[in-house]
This record gives sequence, C-alpha cells and structure tokens, in this order.
Amino acid sequence: MNKILVTGMGIISAIGVGKAATVQSLLDGKSGIGSIKYLKTKHIELPVGEVQCDDEELKAIAGYTSSKPITRTSLLGRVALKEALEEANINLCRPRKLAFISGTTVGGMEKSELYYHDFLNNDAHNEYIAMHDCGACTDMIGKQYEGKFDIVTTISTACSSAANAAILGANLIKAGYVDAAIVGGTECLSKFHLNGFNTLMILDKEECKPFDKNRQGLNLGEGAAYLVIESEESVQRRNVKPLCELSGYGNACDAFHQTASSATGEGACKAMAKALEMSGLNSGDIDYINAHGTGTGNNDESEGAAIMRIFGDKIPPVSSTKSFTGHTTSAAGGVESVISVLAMINDFIPNNLNFSEKIDSLSFSPVKECIRNVKLSHVMTNSFGFGGNDSSCILSKL
Amino acid sequence: MILHVFYLNYNNMDIFIQAASQISTQEPLSEQWFDSPVFSEKILNESIDPDFKLYIPVMVARRMGKLMKRAIVTSVDVLKKCELTGDSLEAVITGTGLGCIENTEHFLNAVLDNDETCLQPTYFIQSTHNTISSQIALFIKCHGYNTTYSHRGTSFDACVLDAFVQMKLGMISNALVGGHDEMTPAYFTLLQKVGYWKDAPLTEESFHSANTAGSISGNASLAMVLTNKETFDALCKIKAVEMLYMPSIDEIKAKTNAILQANGMKLADVDAVVMGFSGDKDNDEVYKNIVLQITQNIPAMCYKHIFGESFCSSAYGVYVAATAIARKKVPAHLLYSSKDEIRNPRNILVYNHFHNIDHSIILLSCLD
Repeated sequence: MNKILVTGMGIISAIGVGKAATVQSLLDGKSGIGSIKYLKTKHIELPVGEVQCDDEELKAIAGYTSSKPITRTSLLGRVALKEALEEANINLCRPRKLAFISGTTVGGMEKSELYYHDFLNNDAHNEYIAMHDCGACTDMIGKQYEGKFDIVTTISTACSSAANAAILGANLIKAGYVDAAIVGGTECLSKFHLNGFNTLMILDKEECKPFDKNRQGLNLGEGAAYLVIESEESVQRRNVKPLCELSGYGNACDAFHQTASSATGEGACKAMAKALEMSGLNSGDIDYINAHGTGTGNNDESEGAAIMRIFGDKIPPVSSTKSFTGHTTSAAGGVESVISVLAMINDFIPNNLNFSEKIDSLSFSPVKECIRNVKLSHVMTNSFGFGGNDSSCILSKL
Repeated sequence: MILHVFYLNYNNMDIFIQAASQISTQEPLSEQWFDSPVFSEKILNESIDPDFKLYIPVMVARRMGKLMKRAIVTSVDVLKKCELTGDSLEAVITGTGLGCIENTEHFLNAVLDNDETCLQPTYFIQSTHNTISSQIALFIKCHGYNTTYSHRGTSFDACVLDAFVQMKLGMISNALVGGHDEMTPAYFTLLQKVGYWKDAPLTEESFHSANTAGSISGNASLAMVLTNKETFDALCKIKAVEMLYMPSIDEIKAKTNAILQANGMKLADVDAVVMGFSGDKDNDEVYKNIVLQITQNIPAMCYKHIFGESFCSSAYGVYVAATAIARKKVPAHLLYSSKDEIRNPRNILVYNHFHNIDHSIILLSCLD
C-alpha cells in the first residue's frame, strides 16, 4: 500500500481537445503548430501551437455558463479538469481528502495586456484586475468542482510548473494530508510572453526542430492538462481503475543562469537521478524519455548532455512532443505527462517531428517515426524552466 | 536514503524555525519592531532598505530590481545566522503573489507602448515569478530542491507546508523558506479600484476600530530557515501546518481540534492566536468569527498594523509568533484586544485566510 497511482487525466492543446483527439494526432503525426489565429499580436510571422477554439467555444466545452468574465488560462484549465474528474469518477465517488494543485505563470496576463490601459485610465474592465494573478486563475478553475477541494494552491516555476505541482501532490498524499490530488498546469498564449521569448531570440520562425543540428528555437503553444493522482488505499476504496503509477520524481536547480542551462546539464542530471533513485529503477529500465526538448540551441544540447550522463551508452528512445503541441510552458509538465501515459496505455512512442540531422555533441538521435506496438513499462518525462528549475517524473505501468 | 516513507503525518520528528530575517516598513534585518514598532500613517508604504552593497556586489545588484535585492539580502542574512551555505542548504522555497511585478510592468508597458517592437529582454527575464527562488539559488549556488508558490494570500503558507511535508517524509533536512512581494504604485492603483485599500490613512488608534473596507499596503521580504535538527538557539518548533479551501467555521473548528489533539494539547494550552486583522471589514469579520466560535478567550495577536497587507503578509504572522515565543513574551502592541503583555508564551496558533477562500492554520511551540 505505498504507490501513487494515476486514476484520471484531462488534456487540451493544439493537437486536440481531450485524450482521444490527442492520441489520434500523435499516431497520425499531425502537428498542431501553425499560423496565429486567435492571439491578438502583430507577430503573425511566428508559428504557434494554439488551441483551435475561441473563448466562447472553450466555455461551451467546459460547460461554463456563468456570465462572469473568465480568463483563457482558466477556461483551458476547466476543460482539462472536467475530463480528468470524469475519468477518475470523482464527481460520483469523492476521495476523502482532495487537493488541486495547478501550475501557471501567464495567469490572467492575456486579459491584462488587452485592458491594461483601461485598468489605469477608466473603469471599463475592472473585473479583470483581480483575475490577473496566478492564484486567481487557479481559484477560477477550482470552483468548477462542486464537491469542493480541501487544499488548493498554485505553483509558478515557469516551464516546470506542472511537474512541480505533481511533486507537491504526491508528497501531500504520502504524508497523509490528502488521499488524492489533481495536479498539472494551464497556460494560454499571451502577447506578453510571445514578445518576451521573441526578444530572447529563441523562437523559430518555422516549425520547431527539437534535437536537430539546425534547430532555430521553440514555438510557443498553449494548453492545459491535469492528472488525478491517488493513494492505493483510496483507489481501492473508490474502486476505480488505475492507469499507471507515478513511481518517481525529482526536482533540482541548475543554479547556472536565469535563462540558460549549463552545458553539462547539472540541474537536469540531478533531477533525473533523484527521480530514478525514488523509483528504485536503473536507467536501463526506462523505455522512453519524453524530453523537455524545446528546440532551442541551448536546451537540447544541455538536456542531451544530461541524458548521456545518466543513460550512458544505453539511451532509450527519446522524443520531444513539443514538435506537435508547441511549448505549452507552465502546462508542459502536465501535457507531456499525459502524453507519456497515453503512449504507455496505447503501446506507442510518439515521434519527434521535423528532425533531420543529429547534434554533433550528442550520441543519440530522437525517434523519427512513430513506433507502434511497443510495450512501455517505464517512461520518464522532463520539464525544465527558466532559472534552472528542473524536474523529472517517471510513470510506470502496473 | 529511503524516500518512500508513507503516512508519517504527525510522526515524532520535530521541525524548527531556526532563524528569520526581514525587510519591511520596520527597521531592516532587525527585531527592533518587537520593542519599538513604527506605525505608518500612509496607505502605500515603502520598505526601509538596508545598504544592499554590503551583501550584493554592485555589478550584480545593478541587474536586480528592489524586490530581488531584498530577497537576496534577507536570504543571505538568515543563512549566515544558521551557518548554511549553497552546499548544505537542501531546498529554496519561495512564495510570491505577484513575482517581480515591477519588471512585469516595465515589460508590459514596453510591449504596449512600442507596439511589440524594439523590446529588450532584461525585464522579461526577470518578470517570471520563479526569478526570486532561482536567483537566490544562483547567488548561493544551491542545486537543491527549488520551487515557487504563487497563490495570493497563502503563497507563503504553501511554502511552509511544502518544507514541512518534505521533512516529515525524510526528503530534506533543511529549507530556506521565503515570502517576497512588492507593491508598485501602478499595481496599488489597480487594486485600489477593486477595493483592496483604504481611501484615507488610519491612525494607530483607529486601525482596528475603523470598520471600513480596504487595508493598508505593505511589502513583504521575509526569509526563514526551517530545519529538523534541534539547536539551542532555534526560535520555535512548527508542530502543524494545515491548509483549507473554502472551509466552513465548523471545518476550521474541527481542523483546529485535530491539530491540538494530534499534538497532545487542548485549547487551554494555547497562549495566543495570531490573526491577519488588516482593518478591512470583511477580512476582519472572518477572524472575529473564529474568535467567537473557536478560540474565544485566548488573546488574539495582530501584525498587519505594523507590516501592512500584501500577498505574502502572512509570512509576518508566522514571524511575529516565532519571535514572541523565542523572546518569551507577546508585547502589548501585538495584541488585538487585551493590552496586557503575555509572559512566556509556549504555544501559538497562527490563522490566516485570503478572502475567506484559502485558509491556513500553523501551530508553533516553544523549545523543550
């Protein structure tokens, strides 16, 4: 009676609304990256992974009928939360104590940047002021669940937020604070961070090419994903079917630079090593790595070096599904954990799109073609954020 | 090390607040507020900063905003008190409701004013909420666990919970836990529109009796070290940390009783309760109800009248309680109703809530 089990998942990203659409896009090799359609920006030359719904369509999918305004970050979160609650049968049979831990960094910025001058100069859109911060977005999502959560909080570690939400959730279950936790993250595109990444000159003007020698940067994406994680005891009590186990996780800090990773991937190595140690697995037991793989010159080389240090000459298949979804930043750890579990359940390894040539300093190439009919026992998924906030999670078949 | 240790809630391991350092409207890096607090009659309050260059090389400090400098200085100061370095520190856990909002505003204004052209990355880089935690780690070269909570008025409380749980699980033995927020004039103006602040300043005498909407703004820069190793000079023990979401008064009562019972205590053993009375009518009503229904005759303490309100002001609630236990008295100026100072407080409960949505209860006790 000591496992942390996954009993439900919900996802929305550029490659579809829900798990079924996500799996289909991955199997078909169909990327969600394309021209900007919904975000109001002048940088229409930049490809992004947008969720193909406007706010009104998202409200309909999430069942949001209130006339109260809501941010896009919260709407995406509500869509993913709804699917996760349904699969884990939480609405009908509530875990005794239940936490909701969500990662976000953009929060309500997408509305604040639209109305900022109004905020300062008139009272036309004051209703969005109190929705700006990260916690407000989580609260707007958490209120969707009518059974009421016991603990709600928000993690903001940029691109590793959702992974760190999973870590806190698992620790709260282990310590007996809650029986189950809904963990993950949500982030919509904003002009603010699109321009931010653009000034850093790490956005590819074409579709991103993770782990390719000629990679030019990342494509930003948006989305949300949550996993329901639960103690074995609670799973038995509620009589739900577990999908897999969260067998290990680790968080470490690269402590190298605010926006760049160290060449040796110090933080990434430590995070992966901690996750392996907790799971009790050897590096050779990992069947697939869903890499952070943003497509920037720095990340892929550093992460690749770290993978080589941990896995030596037995590197399992590696792919970055950001080539499908774009980089969903704070949601990425959730989106990619859900994709990892979907791959495990459906016996496939998603490929790494747009790859043609190996990085000189790396000993491995990512998966070029989708591998089907493959049994995956243990999958590692990496999430690294600005400031060297590196986290790694291992999901294992039961 | 075995990391999988399950259901260890309330095991025998004690967890301590080893030391704390603060920068606020009070004398910086000092406990002078305990004996001679300064009451500000302003609504938007600036912190009193120490001489940053004594702690941060000038070239490094030039690239940092004020909040970042305060976070670094309070962190470095408290780590020094605890003789911890980047190598021996195992976790950096930061709470911040808004992150480095000054940098966020700079970049947002540039994006809007320049119509998305001619932008510099510096302010963007330093705008993410986790800048604080990661810059601290970078400054002291700490590769340990590193995370950031950004959940309005319980951002700091979540940090304490995270550290507490990881120590109980045997995953870490010490942690730097911080609460850092700044209030810029622009954000102050926005929040004023939605009722966060008072229209006119209060006097010290009228602070708790005004019974009007809004509170007084402050900044938060507080760093503390938690550890599971007892030393003679720790401030206090943390006996329990609990968070609740939209609880009824009965649920708060049940949780309070559960905490006390798990620690072999009765309500009568609690010498004081710290509450976030801010002068805001709706906010204070929630605490008054807790007094009425739960803590009754136990003296209530307050702290926002001298440290102000911010998303991380709850850090000062824990801090004043820990300091009172360590200094073996609750001075009269920290008491909400009674005016007789409390001698030798052994156990203090710290209640916090944000808009009656997110709540936390932390129990602190004296060393044996």
